[in-house]
Amino acid sequence: MVALGAALVVFLFWTGSFLALRWAGDALNPPPETAPSRVPFLGGRGPETHAWSRFHVRYYAMALVFLAFDMEMVFMYPWAVVFLEEGLMAGFEMLMFISILVLGILYGWREGAFRWA
Amino acid sequence: MGVRSALARLAAGAPTPAFVVAGAGGRWAAEQLWLEPRIAPTPSPRAADALVVVGYLSEGLLPAVMLAHDQVAPPRLAFQWLPDGAPDDPLAAMVPGVRVVEGGSLVEVVRDAHAGLLAGRGDGHEDAWPDVEPAPWRGVGPYGQGGKGMTGGVPYGRPLTGRADDRDGLKLDRLDVRVGPVFPPFPSGLELVVGLQGDVAQDVSVADNPFEGTAVADEVFRRALRQAVPIAELEVARARSHLRWLGGALRVAGLHALGRRALSLGVRAAPGDADRVARLRRSLARGRGLRWLAGAVGVLREDLGGPVGRAAGHPRDARSEVDEYRALGFEPVTQEGGDALARWRQRVAEAEQALRLARVAGDATVGPLDVVEGPRGPLGTGPLLLDLLPDLLVGMEWGDLVTTVVSLDLDLEEAAVRAGVPA
Repeated sequence: MVALGAALVVFLFWTGSFLALRWAGDALNPPPETAPSRVPFLGGRGPETHAWSRFHVRYYAMALVFLAFDMEMVFMYPWAVVFLEEGLMAGFEMLMFISILVLGILYGWREGAFRWA
Repeated sequence: MGVRSALARLAAGAPTPAFVVAGAGGRWAAEQLWLEPRIAPTPSPRAADALVVVGYLSEGLLPAVMLAHDQVAPPRLAFQWLPDGAPDDPLAAMVPGVRVVEGGSLVEVVRDAHAGLLAGRGDGHEDAWPDVEPAPWRGVGPYGQGGKGMTGGVPYGRPLTGRADDRDGLKLDRLDVRVGPVFPPFPSGLELVVGLQGDVAQDVSVADNPFEGTAVADEVFRRALRQAVPIAELEVARARSHLRWLGGALRVAGLHALGRRALSLGVRAAPGDADRVARLRRSLARGRGLRWLAGAVGVLREDLGGPVGRAAGHPRDARSEVDEYRALGFEPVTQEGGDALARWRQRVAEAEQALRLARVAGDATVGPLDVVEGPRGPLGTGPLLLDLLPDLLVGMEWGDLVTTVVSLDLDLEEAAVRAGVPA
């Protein structure tokens, strides 16, 4: 019961603080928002298309490169343990695995993942 | 009330955030505001308390300046600076509440008005554009998205973006944006229509030059076409132009302190300052950031004349044909590569060379000349770099695009004259 009361107090406190801040922000200086002031600043012209769009996050290529190297390590540790027992077969399997990952790295390279930006 | 006025006094001590627009004839005066410690130019009007138009407005620039004015959060201030004794600008009346300031008192006037604004005097709530959306919100769904699926509506008259092919095989939305003509990193008046997929420009075109039809300032390079002028004056003007450009370019690159150094050198460079430019050149060569930023970016290998052509290793310079310059031992300097970095180095090297020439020239004069080598290539001739922009910029990431545009030192006012409008 005490825990519930404490949670209620915390909830009321933060809700109250949030509302007070909202109110204070509006009360201090309500900016009269007009249509021209809502337009995003692009250098003096308005937008021609609406802002709802699927932005192309080009840095996904970085994530791809990370995954390629991460997966490589995930497989390589157990592989290194059994490599001597399994012999040439294991070496061949690793070669196949790495060459598939290299395709991903080459794609990331083409997309500029390794360029300084 | 005591707290309020104390806060206002405290706020008035800080630099005035101002959105600075360079109009016709105001490029260098606007640049100089960056050296002013009591004014803090902002990258967007939203961060500013005041709009400062330096120089004359033009029909093409006016709508953009009016919109930038409305985007300065009210209560706001608006100023126009004109040189001493210059005729009034009839277009300035379209910007509500604009105060015209002539001559050297701009900073004081802005500071006084800003202190008054912070103390609660003045109003500045009037917009230049009417408070109406370009079209009513139209849609069917709960958020007005309407139409078929999520993407059929036309909210506020602005269609949603369409999908387009991309080099990486992903088909995502392509945004068409108009950047400029008062976008601070770009030269004033440059407006690009860019098709962006992510941050890669897939399609670029240059909008009309807003300075079309305005008169151009009668600087020393233009005077040399019709009369004899001192070589020292020509060369100091060239060095100043390059150094002031460098100041702006370093600022866009984020190197503010170095930019201020270049700019202050550009404002008062004299024939004896060649060694200071050499020191600046060495500081630039030491920094690796610039090489990362501008190396192999925006490569132009053609012989385009001017510093852009010479940065690609073509030693064409109208000064080599002039006997007075040959007598001074003039040899064009060139760089290799033709990328943005080579253009940076080329201009700094030319500024240093120009100051050395000015020193040895003494009071020798030259002209009138048929072809004058200006800071951006031969005056009145040569291909317009503006025409090359679309082909050059397509396929670049946004950061490289801005670096390239800045590295070309475009001057839209000069370009308007080259395009056939008389001075």
